[in-house]
Amino acid sequence: MAREASMKQFEEDRKEATRIAAQLLLASGTTSPRVGGVGETTIHIIDDECAIEELCQTMERMAEENKRWGFFKRDAVILRDADAVLIVTSLRCLSDPGDFNCNLCGKLTCEYKRQAERLPDEPGIAFHGPLCVFRANNVGYAIDSMVALARNLGIDYGVYWSAGAAAMRMRIVPKSTGFALAVAISATEKSPFRDIPKKYDEINEATMNDRIIKRLWPQFRSIYS
Amino acid sequence: MATRELDDMLQSGLDQAVDLMAVAAHNSFRFGGTNTVKIICVGKEEMTNIAEFCYSMGDMSPLAARDGRFMMELVKEPCALLVLGDKRKSDFNYDCGACGYRSCGEMNRAECVEALTANGPSCQFKNMNVNIAADAAAAMAWRLGLHCRVFSTLGMAAFALKVIDGVDFAVAVCVSVAKKDPFFDRHQFWTDEYWDEIFKKEFPTYTRGFIGAVEDEG
Repeated sequence: MAREASMKQFEEDRKEATRIAAQLLLASGTTSPRVGGVGETTIHIIDDECAIEELCQTMERMAEENKRWGFFKRDAVILRDADAVLIVTSLRCLSDPGDFNCNLCGKLTCEYKRQAERLPDEPGIAFHGPLCVFRANNVGYAIDSMVALARNLGIDYGVYWSAGAAAMRMRIVPKSTGFALAVAISATEKSPFRDIPKKYDEINEATMNDRIIKRLWPQFRSIYS
Repeated sequence: MATRELDDMLQSGLDQAVDLMAVAAHNSFRFGGTNTVKIICVGKEEMTNIAEFCYSMGDMSPLAARDGRFMMELVKEPCALLVLGDKRKSDFNYDCGACGYRSCGEMNRAECVEALTANGPSCQFKNMNVNIAADAAAAMAWRLGLHCRVFSTLGMAAFALKVIDGVDFAVAVCVSVAKKDPFFDRHQFWTDEYWDEIFKKEFPTYTRGFIGAVEDEG
C-alpha cells in the first residue's frame, strides 16, 4: 500500500515538474530576440490531458487533408505521450508586415505583400500565406530559446509544426495568429520524442498494449485456465 | 610563467567563443533533420564594409543607418560578427502554405525575385532553421558572458555585399567584449535637443493633447 502511494506521489510530482518547466520555457521564449523589437509573439501552455488529446485528434483529421501530411498521425501519437505542449504564435505576420521591404516573401515591398492574395481557408492548407516571413521568424527565436532552456533543465522536448497548425485550426490561439509552431515537453525515463520507429502511427505503446495485453492476454487466460 | 596581457586574453577568448557559437548554431534544432545553414565569421575589414554600406542606406532605411553607424564604433574594440544564411527553396515538402503557394513544388518553380536585402520568395521553414541557429549562437554567447545582439540589417548587408555567398537570405549575430555593453541604450549617438525634436516630429499628438485642439505651430 505504501509503495503504491509513493508511486502515485511520484507521478503527481513528475507532472508538476513539467508544469513548472513549461512556465519557465514560456518565460525563456518570451524574452528571446524579436526582429523590429515589436511584441507579436505569444506562447500558450496546454497541459491538460484532454486538451492535448483534442489537439492530437485534430492533427489526425488534418493528416487526411493533404497527401504530404501523413506524418501528422505519427506526430499525434508522439504528442499523446507529452506532458505539456507549448504553442508559439506570430500575431503580426498575417496582416501587419514589418515595413522592412526585406523581400523574404518575394514581394519586393511590404505594400505589395499587403495587396497579395492570401491562400483561402480550406482543407489542405495549414497557413494562409504569403506571410511576413520577417515577422514569423520571431517564432524561430522563441522556439530555440525554449529548446535551449529545456536542455538546461533536463526536460525532453520535441518541436512540431503539425501541432502548431492544428492549434490554429482549432482556433485555440489568438485570432490574428498567422503562423504557429509547437514545442512538446515531457519528463519521463524514456523520451517520447526520440527513437521513433517506422509505422509509429500504427505500432506504438498504446496499440501494442491494446493488442497484446488487453486482447491477446485475456483470450490466452480464458483458454489456458 | 610568462605574463599575458588582458587584451591578448580577451581576443583569444573571443575567438574561442565565436567557434563555440558556430558549433552551437550548427548543432541546433532544425526542421527537416539536415543542417543546410551556412555559417561564416567575418573579419574587421568586412565588418567595416558592412557598416559603411548600412550607413549609406540612411535614406531608405533609418534602421540600417542606425546599425551601420553603431557598427563603425563597435569595430574599434574586440568584436566579431557571425553571419548565417541559407537557400530560399524548400526541400521539406511540407506544403504548409506559409509562403503563399499551395505546395513546395509551386514555390520552388516560382520566379526568383532578387533584391539587395534577400532573394524571395523563401520557404518559411528554411527561415526558421536559420533563425533557430542564430538564436542558438546568441544563447551560447549569453552563457559565455559576451555582449550580444542579433542583427537582421547587418545580415542583409552581408548578403548584398556578397560577404556570404551561395545563400538567398542571411542574418547576423554580433558579439563584443567591450568594457560597456555596446548593443543597448546607445544614447551617445544623439543630443537631448535632437532627440526631443525627433520625438516631437514622430509623435506630435503626445505633446499637443487632444487632436485638433491646438493649431499647428508652423
